[in-house]
Amino acid sequence: MPLSKLWIFAFRDLGRNRRRSLFTLIAIALGIGLLIIMNGFIAGVMEDSLQNSIRLKTGHLQIRAPSYAEEQLSLQWSDLLSDPDVLAAQARALPEVKAAAPVLWASGLLATINDSAGLQVYGIEPESSIYDPIRAALVDGAYLTADDRSGILIGKRLADSLNIGVGQKVSLVIVSAEQQTDEGIFTIRGLFTTGIPSYDQSAALMPISKAQAFTNTAGRASAMVILLNNQDDTDRVAAGLQSQGHTVLTWSDLNQLFIQAIQTGMSFYLLLDGIVMLIVAVIIANTLLMSVFERIREMGIHSALGLRGQHLMQLFLLEAACLGFAGIVVGLVLGLAGVGYLATVGIAIGDMASAAGGSMTLGTTMRARFVPGTFALLSLMTFLIILAASLYPAWFAAHLEPAEALRS
Amino acid sequence: MEAIQLEHASKVYHIGKAETHALNDITLSIAEGEFTALVGPSGSGKTTLLQLIGCLDKPDQGVVKIKGQDVTRFNANQRADLRRESIGFVFQFFALIPVLTAYENVELPLLLSNIKASERRERVLDLLNAVGLTDRANHRPDQMSGGQQQRVAIARALATRPILVLADEPTANLDTANGQQAMEIMQRLNQETGTAFVFATHDPRVVAYARRVVQLRDGSVVDNGMPH
Repeated sequence: MPLSKLWIFAFRDLGRNRRRSLFTLIAIALGIGLLIIMNGFIAGVMEDSLQNSIRLKTGHLQIRAPSYAEEQLSLQWSDLLSDPDVLAAQARALPEVKAAAPVLWASGLLATINDSAGLQVYGIEPESSIYDPIRAALVDGAYLTADDRSGILIGKRLADSLNIGVGQKVSLVIVSAEQQTDEGIFTIRGLFTTGIPSYDQSAALMPISKAQAFTNTAGRASAMVILLNNQDDTDRVAAGLQSQGHTVLTWSDLNQLFIQAIQTGMSFYLLLDGIVMLIVAVIIANTLLMSVFERIREMGIHSALGLRGQHLMQLFLLEAACLGFAGIVVGLVLGLAGVGYLATVGIAIGDMASAAGGSMTLGTTMRARFVPGTFALLSLMTFLIILAASLYPAWFAAHLEPAEALRS
Repeated sequence: MEAIQLEHASKVYHIGKAETHALNDITLSIAEGEFTALVGPSGSGKTTLLQLIGCLDKPDQGVVKIKGQDVTRFNANQRADLRRESIGFVFQFFALIPVLTAYENVELPLLLSNIKASERRERVLDLLNAVGLTDRANHRPDQMSGGQQQRVAIARALATRPILVLADEPTANLDTANGQQAMEIMQRLNQETGTAFVFATHDPRVVAYARRVVQLRDGSVVDNGMPH
């Protein structure tokens, strides 16, 4: 029997019980829509968080001294890069590199007359395009200049919590390279709001030359931060920058904790995906089984007319395929509309929730993201699961004894 | 020539632990072109016998031959192919496919036999014309009366030009006029096409159309309708 005719029969069979077919289609559509929204949203949150981290903290690559311990923010000379300018020049010479600049990190305590807060001091090259996001995030005051010897930038969130503003003087205490506590008086030059509360709460930026003098690190840097034009070039550039006496870390090394969190989260989401797909499969299997049971005598007639078991099986699989395909198309439309909305408007989670994100540099608004490959894979998987779920009803129909079916 | 031969065919149904002997040691021949009635009270084995002849079921013992071939050795696909090519069915409950039009119902066996489109169309229109339903070609079963549906079923049974049409109580759900019309159509087509018709019935008005009457009782043939 021509497959084209079987398709027509299958399509018409679905019209027998329109309400049931419609509800099944809606269930599939809602299932696939939910899968797409869920996966688009989590992909958006994860990718935004990762990009925020790369943009504001890690860059795509970092070169460090082998002994540098990030969690200690060590200022020991042996843990620092002694030749940051040479390394910067080497990195900038590569065509894949968008910007490279040394950075000096230190832990510090910012104090006013009434209050104090622990933070991380960033000694930066203010003119480097690596810090364009900070320049763009400035909401009050002025940006730093390279020769500014007393100015710092802090997040507006931190300033608000300490009740200070632009132009005010604050005390900054650090532990220098000699493990001695040093205090300096700085002027709040400007305030920024990056949209990442955890960063805005805990970062103070000053020119690297001032930071080096303040920490007595004599021209040394904690790391060379490198931004690439294309993230996909990371491994190739990393390989090119490998040299003795230095460690080259990629964005994935630098965000390992975060990436592990993503992977854990993704396994949870895979479980959710599986549950949704299973629900869709049960619904379709139920619909087809009901359809088979209602049409047992008709299966007997088909058999009497000479339709082979394999044709009956094909007929039910095609019914499932028609229903599944239509449901997936509707679900894709719903899901893409949902992702479009969440990508544009997003979900505001507020400063508190965002700041509680731990290793994740969450913004105050979480947005979804279009991931066509994932959406296509989910649709394909759902379609295959629908077909798999319809195998039993189709097999059941194919193996009915004609005489028994006619007697029913 | 014999179209069908049953040799010592028996069939037992098992319902739970109970056994029902539906057919006991049946030996029967149906020749090509016959117009034969199987008669007997309910439970006498008429439907079971038709199902064995129609390769819808297998006997537990004995042999069923169609055009000399022992079909009891056939597998499910071979039996399906044989039914498609050589046997037509008319059922008591009309048994049309509800989502197909009258035209498509008659065309269905031809599609299964991969008959080319132009020939399909010619045969279907001829058969619908033969049963007087050309004007109902595009109607679905729920848009036709019971009598019309049974006429479509008769046309469908003859679509592949089988050697044999089996009809199980073909008039049981029809009023007298429609039942008479269905029998007259089957009788005419039997004469025009030479296709053998075997129909199960307990209606004396239907039996009157038969040229041979086989009587069944308690699963056995008590009179094979042949001259002694």
